[in-house]
Amino acid sequence: MTITQTDVLERVVTQRHKRRQGWRSIALIFMLILLVGFTLTLLLGQSFTPPLDVLRVLLGEPVPGASFTVGHLRLPRAVLSILVGVSFGLGGVAFQIMLRNPLASPDIIGVSSGASAAAVFAIVVLQWDGTVVTVFSVLAGLGVALLVYALSFKNGAAGSRLILIGIGVAAMIESFIGYVLLRAPAWDLQEAMRWLTGSVNAAQLSQAWPVLVSLLVFGGLLLSRRRDLDALRMGDDTAAALGVKVGVTRVMVIVSAVGMIAVATAVTGPIAFVAFLSGPIAARIVGSKGSLLIPSALVGACLVLMGDYVGQFLLPSRYPVGVITGALGAPYLIYLIIRVNRAGGSL
Amino acid sequence: MTLDHRLVVENLSAGYGERTILDGLNLDVIPGRITSIVGANACGKSTLLRTMSRLLKPTHGQVLLDGKSVHQRPSRELAQTLGLLPQSPIAPEGITVADLVSRGRHPHHGLMSRWGARDDEAVAQALQVTKTAELMDRDVDELSGGQRQRVWIAMALAQETALLLLDEPTTFLDVSHQVEVLDLLVDLNQSRGTTIVMVLHDLNLAARYSDQLVAVQGGQLYAHGEPEAILNEAMIESVFGLRSQVMIDPVSGKPMVLPIGRHRLSLGTS
Repeated sequence: MTITQTDVLERVVTQRHKRRQGWRSIALIFMLILLVGFTLTLLLGQSFTPPLDVLRVLLGEPVPGASFTVGHLRLPRAVLSILVGVSFGLGGVAFQIMLRNPLASPDIIGVSSGASAAAVFAIVVLQWDGTVVTVFSVLAGLGVALLVYALSFKNGAAGSRLILIGIGVAAMIESFIGYVLLRAPAWDLQEAMRWLTGSVNAAQLSQAWPVLVSLLVFGGLLLSRRRDLDALRMGDDTAAALGVKVGVTRVMVIVSAVGMIAVATAVTGPIAFVAFLSGPIAARIVGSKGSLLIPSALVGACLVLMGDYVGQFLLPSRYPVGVITGALGAPYLIYLIIRVNRAGGSL
Repeated sequence: MTLDHRLVVENLSAGYGERTILDGLNLDVIPGRITSIVGANACGKSTLLRTMSRLLKPTHGQVLLDGKSVHQRPSRELAQTLGLLPQSPIAPEGITVADLVSRGRHPHHGLMSRWGARDDEAVAQALQVTKTAELMDRDVDELSGGQRQRVWIAMALAQETALLLLDEPTTFLDVSHQVEVLDLLVDLNQSRGTTIVMVLHDLNLAARYSDQLVAVQGGQLYAHGEPEAILNEAMIESVFGLRSQVMIDPVSGKPMVLPIGRHRLSLGTS
């Protein structure tokens, strides 16, 4: 069987279109799910608010009753959930792609713990609040990322060594958080839980701004270099052969992913496993049809938004979103460790 | 594509950490030819290839492509002229053959540029030349070792570089697939004039398929020339520390090495 050059060309083009179409449909479906979830959380809480009232609240009209439940309770919560979900989803998958290992997520290797430890320390011990706390925890997150990177650096960075060291560092930092919380005078349990599991309780729209800005800056940076990041999936040598500056790309990914994760963590606390779960879920659905960054961001947003809804309304008592995502993520972590042990899996 | 891209290695030293592996090596790659680097394990042949392809920074000396250091040229621009197939590239899970091959177009795109007809043509041609067009819709993980290696070569071809470096392209392949891959490289060299530099383990295949052999010993260039000119018993003895008998290969008319060990020798050899 011989195929002519034009046949081959035609098939190459067709396959490329099919891949792109497939990616677009998946991204669209994720967006629709997110939109439906968003609408639902605005309409339905302890009570049902008619769509028209919700619309009027969104347009800024005062509506008796609805203005408070929708405008002050549900909307900020939903917006913040989506923004931090996107931050965790993007930051997580960027690390996983870069190190070609689903275990390399920032919440497994100590970056999130570092950021939340800094936030707890700043609030409880230093009595800081506001932007300083955010900046401090971003720097701490970066510091932990660099520390883990430096400790695992030997003849070039190696994925598995970095992950093991990261898990160790994360455990140390977690115990530090526990210690600080224990010593905190009159620290109410609700606040403490926020730093241990992450929650969007008592969200305010003003909290969304730093997350939005970090998403625009760091997320934009990451998305603009997604091709270079994607090339790293074929190994550092192959990527370098294709003209990717591997070192520069690495630094860019670390800074932007850590930035996003740390800002989100400083606002809501470490929402367990969202960064870790989003990438693999997106990868399972998207396959290799295209970049995983945007699908993973959307999955992250869905996870936080829906996890929070489940935690609020669908269980016998109320749980912060981190408990729900934690319950989802833990079994997957175990499964992954078993699988990686057996076969040496990749993202 | 032109023949006149010149890759020159000048007084090159390189290594890992404290360990020096290459020690003042000089090499002038002949454009438009197939050159194989041979030598004993740990002699520095892979290090040489990695440094030539700018994966490893030299501690002394330089690698010049058309008079400019490969370690200082912009990465993407260099990748349009100098291609490399590393020893163990990783295929992302679930990627199709055509998709993987199209990744070779990476250096031809900047931040903003879009995929164009020129890219599709390059991919189609690479698939055609490597006879992987039939496989294009398959997942790379499903392929046999030989097929997979052809797909990786196709990716390097889609990159459309005038020079192609390959680090042991035949490892893990059985003999028929080894021959298939080397035949493909000769096709490529003849049809596109691509300069090929590779590290090969099998001396006899290297002698048969290369225009030039480069023998590396102890981090230095031991000999460089046509296989007929440099492949002889004395060279094998110094480079590999092995006694041997070199004969003319009746199939190709090129020299062929028969190693002499301690056992299983007939009366003719001593």
